[in-house]
Amino acid sequence: MILREKLKPLLVYLVLIISSSLIILGFLWLFITSFSTRTEGLRPLRWTLHNWSFLWESPFGPEYPSIWWVTLNTLLMSLTMTIIVVVVSSMTGYALSRMKFAGRKSFLSLTLILHAFPSVTLLIPIYFVLLYVSKIPVIGRGIPLLGGFGYNTIGGVALVMVAFQLPFGIWVMKGFFDNISWDMERAALIDGASRFKVWWQIMMPNIKPGIAALSIFSFLSGWNAYLIPFTFTVGRAGKTAVLSVYLQNFMSESVMTEWNVVAAVGLFQLIPVILFFLLTQEALLSIYGGGKRGGV
Amino acid sequence: MKITLEDLCKYFGEVKAVDDLNLEIKDREFVALLGPSGCGKTTTLLMIAGIYKPTSGNILFDGQVVNHLLPKERNIGMVFQSYALYPHMSVFDNITYPLKLKRIHKREMRERAQKVADMMGIGELLDRKPGQLSGGQQQRVAVARALIKEPAILLFDEPLSNLDARLRLRMRGEIKRLQEDLGVTSIYVTHDQVEAMTMASRIAVMNHGVLQAYGTPDQLYNHPDNLFVAGFIGSPPMNFLKMTFEEKESGFYLSSQGLSVRIPDKKGALAKQNNAPRGIIMGIRPEDVSIAPEGDLKAEIYVVEPLGRESLVTFRFDDEEIRALVPASFEGKIGDVMSLKLEKQKIHLFDPETEASLLRNE
Repeated sequence: MILREKLKPLLVYLVLIISSSLIILGFLWLFITSFSTRTEGLRPLRWTLHNWSFLWESPFGPEYPSIWWVTLNTLLMSLTMTIIVVVVSSMTGYALSRMKFAGRKSFLSLTLILHAFPSVTLLIPIYFVLLYVSKIPVIGRGIPLLGGFGYNTIGGVALVMVAFQLPFGIWVMKGFFDNISWDMERAALIDGASRFKVWWQIMMPNIKPGIAALSIFSFLSGWNAYLIPFTFTVGRAGKTAVLSVYLQNFMSESVMTEWNVVAAVGLFQLIPVILFFLLTQEALLSIYGGGKRGGV
Repeated sequence: MKITLEDLCKYFGEVKAVDDLNLEIKDREFVALLGPSGCGKTTTLLMIAGIYKPTSGNILFDGQVVNHLLPKERNIGMVFQSYALYPHMSVFDNITYPLKLKRIHKREMRERAQKVADMMGIGELLDRKPGQLSGGQQQRVAVARALIKEPAILLFDEPLSNLDARLRLRMRGEIKRLQEDLGVTSIYVTHDQVEAMTMASRIAVMNHGVLQAYGTPDQLYNHPDNLFVAGFIGSPPMNFLKMTFEEKESGFYLSSQGLSVRIPDKKGALAKQNNAPRGIIMGIRPEDVSIAPEGDLKAEIYVVEPLGRESLVTFRFDDEEIRALVPASFEGKIGDVMSLKLEKQKIHLFDPETEASLLRNE
């Protein structure tokens, strides 16, 4: 009896170790490869830092942007997308949760449907839309850093990412708003707050875990995005490339691929994410936990 | 501030939450809205507050129609059952939130907050957060927040329901005293008839969205307008027995299988005047049923519930039950047969079809 009780956790650990070790193995290979010239399995032939040379000189030539520029692009795109998603989702979530208006139910169902929608099918129509936006003065192509919101701009990519991320964001925020008691809002309305003040001063501070979770989620999906940035920017290592697209350049069909460099660049893109995730695990989990403590 | 409700109706889709409510609340009065869950009392309160819009009908403050006014324009303070404090703000910020929205000067805000907090006995708690307070303290903060803008009307939505029994008792007295001292027109929603009876000067009893009765505690207790009010007010509740109403030469009689009672002529005449049918419902409160040697009926003890000061005994006779409040020294056991006497002057009569009292105009 005692043996069986001791055995169960042991078995569980065994299973966990085996399954996670496979994943860890992959990461280990990635790490080792990026610092060696060649590897046989996990054994490096020679240690070198040459693979990481992209950090200080552009591997494709001086007229191509360095990786830091590309990183900035990725950062800008993810940040812009996150900010827009959070702001719009929280306002929409509040309206859907608290206000009565014509078409509310249909809007809610639409949100759910859009969330499940295959985004790939919309790539071509969006291309035309972005082309059209490019023609709009200032917003199309003129904004510094972002480059505008048209085709082949970071802003444009961010806009498209927002569109695909929004249904999820709205649904999540609405869920968080639903959890707050109506009485608190009523008390604020009686105290003299306008709807907007109720949203900003009373509701939002109580949604903090939701905002945090959504921001992290959106930022990470923006950082890792490949298809949409690839489709809506020109050139693999162009001025508007993001990290995932940039990585593609190291894998070519005509020349032998230097997998070590690929591993290094991949790791470079990965490190911030891992750090971020390690620091913010709890907030992320709260999306699925829901609820809030303290107060009623 | 005088409050008048005219033909007030509130529908939620098909559901009639408040049905044709007409009510008048005098200035400085403390009125209770009493009724079971779902009777429409909270809905009425929220309509007065401006949170809900009436489907039809008018709400008037001092003769002015206020239907279209936003809650913040109505100069009301409200205390919720869940207190509805803002958990992310300190007690001080909670209390002064109404003033902050009005952009009152910091110094005046602080003065008024301190004054109200001291009045409510929470003067030293201003820096804490609501999550660090006990239920009673939270409730006082909620009341302080309602009072700080010196409203013309105070609304209470079952504020004592979340407190333990002892604290509830104390707060009852405190709220009543507070209202008397401040003289603010107050409306108090509750499902607890003891709260309503002890605190309000007039009680409006509601059921299924319809006003059942509106009067002083004494009126509702001793002269209930209908069966519902009679059974709802008073604890332990009134006994109801099906009887036959007869007029004989010697007077008016109520009889059933094991019981025959002669009721006072005045009552009988009134009942006759109100077209009392033959099948009638007699109501008598447990405190008006006593054990006496030559009583009106014989009944068997079914259960004895000692209450300390007295005992509640349930008797059974002919498939009917009757409860009596007897002195604590009572020593009967289950199964004993005793003789019971009914206090004739305290008999109530009801029409089983309309459920209305047959003793109106008494």
